[in-house]
Amino acid sequence: MVIRGKAWVSDNYVMSYDMVLQKDWTSPINKEENAKWIMAGVSEEFNQEGAFRDAGYTFIVARHNFAGGGKSIEHCVTGLMGAGIKAVLADSFARLQFRNAINYGLPFITCKDIADIARTGDELEFNPSTGEIKNLTNGQSKISVPVSPFVAEVAEAGGIMDFIRKRIAEGTVDELM
Amino acid sequence: MAINSGRDKVVPGQLVWTNVQSVMTMDYLGTETFKAFDSLGRPEVFDKERVICVSDHLVPPPTQAFATLLNQWREAVKAHDIKYFYDLGRQGIAHQIMVEQGHVLPGTLSIGTDSHANTYGAVGAVGNAVSVSDAAVAMATGKSWFRVPETVKFHITGKWQPWVMAKDLSLHIMGMMHWNGHLIYKTIEFDGPAISDLEMAGRMTLCNMTVDLGAKNGIIAPDAKTAEFLSPVQKGNWNYVTSDSDAVYEKIYEVDVTNLVPTISMPDKLDEVRRVEEVQGTKFNKAFVGTCTNGRLEDIEMMTRILKGKQVHRDVNFVLVPASTQVYLDAIKAGYITDLVEAGVAVDTPSCASCAGIHTGVAGDGDIVLSAGNRNMKGRMGSKNAQIYLTSPAVVAASALTGVITDPRSL
Ligand code: SF4
Repeated sequence: MVIRGKAWVSDNYVMSYDMVLQKDWTSPINKEENAKWIMAGVSEEFNQEGAFRDAGYTFIVARHNFAGGGKSIEHCVTGLMGAGIKAVLADSFARLQFRNAINYGLPFITCKDIADIARTGDELEFNPSTGEIKNLTNGQSKISVPVSPFVAEVAEAGGIMDFIRKRIAEGTVDELM
Repeated sequence: MAINSGRDKVVPGQLVWTNVQSVMTMDYLGTETFKAFDSLGRPEVFDKERVICVSDHLVPPPTQAFATLLNQWREAVKAHDIKYFYDLGRQGIAHQIMVEQGHVLPGTLSIGTDSHANTYGAVGAVGNAVSVSDAAVAMATGKSWFRVPETVKFHITGKWQPWVMAKDLSLHIMGMMHWNGHLIYKTIEFDGPAISDLEMAGRMTLCNMTVDLGAKNGIIAPDAKTAEFLSPVQKGNWNYVTSDSDAVYEKIYEVDVTNLVPTISMPDKLDEVRRVEEVQGTKFNKAFVGTCTNGRLEDIEMMTRILKGKQVHRDVNFVLVPASTQVYLDAIKAGYITDLVEAGVAVDTPSCASCAGIHTGVAGDGDIVLSAGNRNMKGRMGSKNAQIYLTSPAVVAASALTGVITDPRSL
């Protein structure tokens, strides 16, 4: 399914500990709750309850090491999902949040120099079946790195927890290889 | 990964489910982890001796809220009948405990709900940080999914110079590589004569900080030192595993430690690294040695060599927090704690302490901290208006004597 919407483009490293402030690290994992203060430390404009969520972005575009800094907390990904983000496009992602994104079925799409063709507020379109990212505002486009079938399978199941829950219920969990 | 996923061979980029040796979780995420586990539909964890629970981030609780959280955590651990629970009184930083108590073994793969699980590479194990969901899945199934990483090698040669530590090498590599994607998702293998010369503490420091480089994990092949370290504590058997002779490295980097000098990372940006001599003379007011990076006996010994019989500068508050109860006890028996307390160092019970800005010596506005920890982003140790320099225990100790950043070689 093609994803279309407005992008927020980062001009700096986006670090996980800025995405979720320390006081929220131990809060329950809940998309709506986690969305309230998501990105609060990334930019002063988002440092208000609901600020990032209410800006109405569908995509985040970044350069290297998106969500870096080594935090394993899932609030980064759930917060983005709760804030309406449907995909993050970047040169590279920090491993832990890349993993969380797969586990939650939020597309983290690797695309070299994607930030060169987008500015905050541009309208983008991402086609998961072709990998094409089009900037509808300026007409430029790029092709992203293909996503592995496992990632799609987990997303389809509704995330890793449901994926495993179903297999435990069916008695097929031991077959995973 | 091939061995642990029942395959003859795996290739980089492949996604595989592999068996895990141990699953670690700790106080502040543990309750959530057990809740997630309970929701999966398995009555018991896959192995009660291989789910390891540790209290480290919140102990002893500095606030009522944390005390309550700890109570819930203890209930959860008890309810799941976990054999190895390192709670306050027997506590330590989880990664230290996992290696020190033999819960990770060469050639196996273990995961934990904290980013510095990379530390397990010191004994030739794959250590990986995962989320609460991943840990819950592994508790239920004994398995976790992984993308087989590309490997880069750091071939480390030369002779270690006096006062230069594994931390200096870590920071040096940080300065070499930056965060521009070269090491993201990769396995870093360290080898060479200067690695063989390192004791387990230094190996742990080095592997610990590979997560801060952005790597998936760091690993050092087991040798006689590994076997000697593990034999009194290992929970299970293991075989020597080394890289295949035809192993393919995406890249091999060479570092000669003969030229390595005391090194420091500048406030807010881990990858902005300098030689200590370049910032010599900079004033600071707080000193901290501890954490899963540098809270081990060898680190405390190094401090003691510098501080014994001397006095910490009157403008410096120095806090030492040993990485585990075992380390604490060993340091007491060796006499280091007496020497350090006499020198004016405050010593606290093992925990993560101020490393995550939670308790025991957090930073306030205007503080300039010289820390032997692993992270120095704004607000990491407390106030966003504090500055954190990261360096080795030797540099922290030497600087504590003078009140300004000091190269230990200049004393
Ligand atoms: S010592 Fe610091 S880096 Fe290590 S586990 Fe604790 S908080 Fe994390």
